Amino acid sequence: MAADSPSSVRKVVVHLRATGDAPILKQAKFKIPGTDKFAKVIDFLCRQLHRETLFVYVNSAFSPNPDELVIDLYNNFGFDGKLVVNYACSMAWG
Amino acid sequence: MDILSWDGTLSSGDFRLAACAFMQKWKSVMSAFPPWSWVPCPKQPWGASASHDVEGYLSLENIILSCYAQEEHDEISCPQKEETSCSEKEELIDIATLSNCSKVPYYDLHIIYSASYRVPVLFFRAYYSDGEPLGFNAIEKDLPAHSAKALLDSKWTFITQEEHPYLNRPWFKLHPCGTSEWMKLLFHVDVSVAKNGVTIELYLLSWLSVVGQVVGLRIPLEMLNQP
Repeated sequence: MAADSPSSVRKVVVHLRATGDAPILKQAKFKIPGTDKFAKVIDFLCRQLHRETLFVYVNSAFSPNPDELVIDLYNNFGFDGKLVVNYACSMAWG
Repeated sequence: MDILSWDGTLSSGDFRLAACAFMQKWKSVMSAFPPWSWVPCPKQPWGASASHDVEGYLSLENIILSCYAQEEHDEISCPQKEETSCSEKEELIDIATLSNCSKVPYYDLHIIYSASYRVPVLFFRAYYSDGEPLGFNAIEKDLPAHSAKALLDSKWTFITQEEHPYLNRPWFKLHPCGTSEWMKLLFHVDVSVAKNGVTIELYLLSWLSVVGQVVGLRIPLEMLNQP
C-alpha cells in the first residue's frame, strides 16, 4: 500500500457488547475505518452470530441508522477511545 | 423512574409530555424538514377513556423519505430520468417525465399512543403524487433495503394493516408488541439514565431511532446533543 494519510485511514475501535439473551463473542473488540458505514458493523455481527437480524444500539438510548458513518458515531457516542455497540437478539413473540 | 424496575412503557400522560418535548426538539434541529404536529382528537362519546390527557397523536404528513429525498434537499424533484427511452418516443416525453415524477412516494406518519400496550405505535401510509396509494408490496420495495429488511424479519417489529384508530381508514402499522422490550434495552445501557432515571423527554427520540429505520426516516445525530 502507498503511504497513507492519517485522515483517510483513521480507524475506530469498536467494542461489541452482548445484552439481553445474546451470545457473547469470543473476539469482541476490533478496529474499523471511520469512513465505513455502521451497516458493516451490523453485518459483521450478524455473520459472527449466524443470525439474520439483531437489535443493535449504542449508549444514549439510540439505535443508529445503518447509513451512519462509524466515525460520526464515535464522535457522538464514543468514550475512552472506543465506540461501544450493544446487541441483542430478537425474542420470540409471547 | 427507576431504571431497574422500568418495563419500557409509559403512561398516556407521559406520552403527551414526551410528544411535546419531541416536537420542540425536532423543530429546532430539523429546520429543513416539516415539523411534527399534534392532532387533538375528540374523546370517545361513550366516555370509556380514562386518559383525559392524551386525546391526540403526532402527525407528519406529505413527506418524502426514500433516496429521492436524500439527493434533493429542498425541492421535490423527479428521480433520474431515463433519457434513452424518452428520446425514442418524443411525443411521449412529457408523459414519461410525469410518470417518473409520480413514482416518488409520499408518506404520512402518525405516532399514536396504545393504551393496551402503553407504548407509542407508528401508523403510516404511502401514496404517489397522483394520490394512488402504495400497497404493502410496493412499500416494501420502497423501504431502505438494508435496515428495513432486517427490521421486518425481526421478531420484534412487523407491519400489519388495520384501521386507523381515529380516521376509519386502513393504514399500515408497526406492531407494538415488542416495543417495551427493546425500549427497556435501549435505556438500560444509557449511563446517564442509570444515574438520573429514565428521561421521558427522550423516549420518543429513542423510540423513533428504531422505528424510523423501518420507513427510512433517519434521525440526525445532532438531535441527541440538544439540551
